[in-house]
Amino acid sequence: MRGFLAITRRELAGLFVGPLAWALLFIAVLLQGWLFVLYLKSLGGDVDLALRWTLGESWVYWALLILVPPLLTMRMISEESRTGILEFLLTAPVTDAAVVTGKFVAALVFLALLWSGAFVYGLVVASLGVPPDWGTLFGGWIGAVLCSGLFVGVGLFASSITSTPIVAAFGAIVLNLVFVTAPLLAGLSDQPWVRRAVASVDVIDHHKGAFLTGVLDTSYVVFFVSWSGFFVFLAIRAVEARRWR
Amino acid sequence: MISVAHLTRTFGSLRALDDISFEVAKGEVVGFLGPNGAGKTTAMRILSGYLPASSGTVKIAGFDVLRESLEVRRRIGYLPETVPLYREHRVVEMLEFQARLHAIPRKERASRIDKALEQVGLTDRRRDLVGNLSRGLRQRAGLAVALLPRPEVLILDEPTSGLDPMQRLEVRGLIRALRDEHTVLFSSHILPEIEAVCPRVVIVHKGRIAADGTPAELVAKLAGASHVRLEAVVGADPAAAQRILRSIRGVRDVVDHGRLGIHHQFELACDEDLREDVGAIAASRGWALRELSWRRPTLEQIFARIATGASDEVERPAGPARAPAISAPDAPIVLGGLSAVPRASTVHPTLQPTVQPTVHPTLQPSMPSTAGTAPQRTVYNLNPFDRGATRSLSVPKVVEDPNAPPASAGPDPDASGAPRS
Repeated sequence: MRGFLAITRRELAGLFVGPLAWALLFIAVLLQGWLFVLYLKSLGGDVDLALRWTLGESWVYWALLILVPPLLTMRMISEESRTGILEFLLTAPVTDAAVVTGKFVAALVFLALLWSGAFVYGLVVASLGVPPDWGTLFGGWIGAVLCSGLFVGVGLFASSITSTPIVAAFGAIVLNLVFVTAPLLAGLSDQPWVRRAVASVDVIDHHKGAFLTGVLDTSYVVFFVSWSGFFVFLAIRAVEARRWR
Repeated sequence: MISVAHLTRTFGSLRALDDISFEVAKGEVVGFLGPNGAGKTTAMRILSGYLPASSGTVKIAGFDVLRESLEVRRRIGYLPETVPLYREHRVVEMLEFQARLHAIPRKERASRIDKALEQVGLTDRRRDLVGNLSRGLRQRAGLAVALLPRPEVLILDEPTSGLDPMQRLEVRGLIRALRDEHTVLFSSHILPEIEAVCPRVVIVHKGRIAADGTPAELVAKLAGASHVRLEAVVGADPAAAQRILRSIRGVRDVVDHGRLGIHHQFELACDEDLREDVGAIAASRGWALRELSWRRPTLEQIFARIATGASDEVERPAGPARAPAISAPDAPIVLGGLSAVPRASTVHPTLQPTVQPTVHPTLQPSMPSTAGTAPQRTVYNLNPFDRGATRSLSVPKVVEDPNAPPASAGPDPDASGAPRS
């Protein structure tokens, strides 16, 4: 546990001493803020609806989720395996699982920070006299973080099976695209079992269906946690497999 | 402290380690020596728990590396060949990370980090970014990271590779200083380095342990690889000079490397430093010396030897190879008198593949067939360190000199000869 915290802390420090995290944060917050104003204008001043758009209703949110987590996680394992730091971590008194989950939590904390920009928008509109529905906003934020966990897991897994960060990022982006676009593709099929099968892994629907309406449905929480856990598990196994290669 | 039994590791069809067994006692410093690709790094990775073994067991401090991995990891400090440091962090931050990984209590952290930095001499660079450090400094920072948890066993993979000579010296000194507190296993492909630091050397070759012992023992096993080099003006008859040199006690063979200007080059295969004996002869014969040096075996020669199959024991030429006269304890150096023909047959063939007379046959003076017909000459043994010399040095010894031509009975007929081509 101690080792896990040490790794999370190191990863966060590593993210923020480099320019990449700041650049991602800058671009994402700028884009989200500009879009929030745009949503607010086009939705006729409906604050809650605009916040919902910011945290998942719009395609920009999903585009960010497809692109940002892979860029965060691409270096986490692949580069360390190349520079030999992984050798150091895997001979330090921490388990392989602690190494991977430490990195996972660090990336998740970063994304949680990124989405918490929505609270700032909430505060701003509240200070202008229209307080948002804080419960719905918080539920949406929780959903966004849980949803990010899934994409971070995919990114870590991609990073763990290659030694080249760019390949890891590319692989993760492709996997993320598959995840997000699968329901659209399933819509082309008229076979009901295909639709049902894809609906059970439909990330967008799971996110919109519960969290954005302010509902913390445990089955939906389990959906995201288990998918994240599955990819983290794969990443741990892939790191372990490096020893055998 | 370290116990390795029948360790084998394969990568596909490649056997990187093949049934390796050795033990390292607590407090020992062991050097792992081998050429590139011998399996040193693989062995160290397995010892550190990074790679699992294909078969065999490795125990460190009584814990199995595979089954009780975490216990082992708490007890080792491992420095891989590529120093594992985050480039974007400062030296002290890297040490703090290591302290947290090893759960060093917060109270002790600062003082132990200070001590580790002091040990490697990086106290004034603690705030430097790792990425800005030179390679040598980075190596030292890596060593500080490995030392910080005060591990019982230190595993250092080529800690001196890529360093300049001064930095090498420093790292060597550091490892020597660590002997008291830690059991150290470190690898290198540089023999002098291992000799300077390690009381014990394990030589790995093609995944097997080729030799295990103290450097002196290993060198002794390589008898014949060390040699004395002589470059001198020996006169008109280098073959005679070669015979004279060959007769020195302890010399197993003399290789004539031919003439270089007016000088002749010889290589005397011997186990010990025979420079004094050779110098004494050169003085007595009046040879003008240009070089007289003792060359010890290099790693390349060790491996040539090991790889060519004379694995552990190198057969040495037995008694008959030496001149019978030498066996008398008071005998001085016997000059000449031994035919090269029976000698060559007694020497192990692998030791001297290239013994060739370089003098043109027509230039060689005719040799007296029997020693008895040669005139007697008085020779002083000038070497005060002559091994086995029990007689008084002031008493001249009369010996037969078959090489002295009867016509010119001067003191040094060989030296007077002008260089011929």
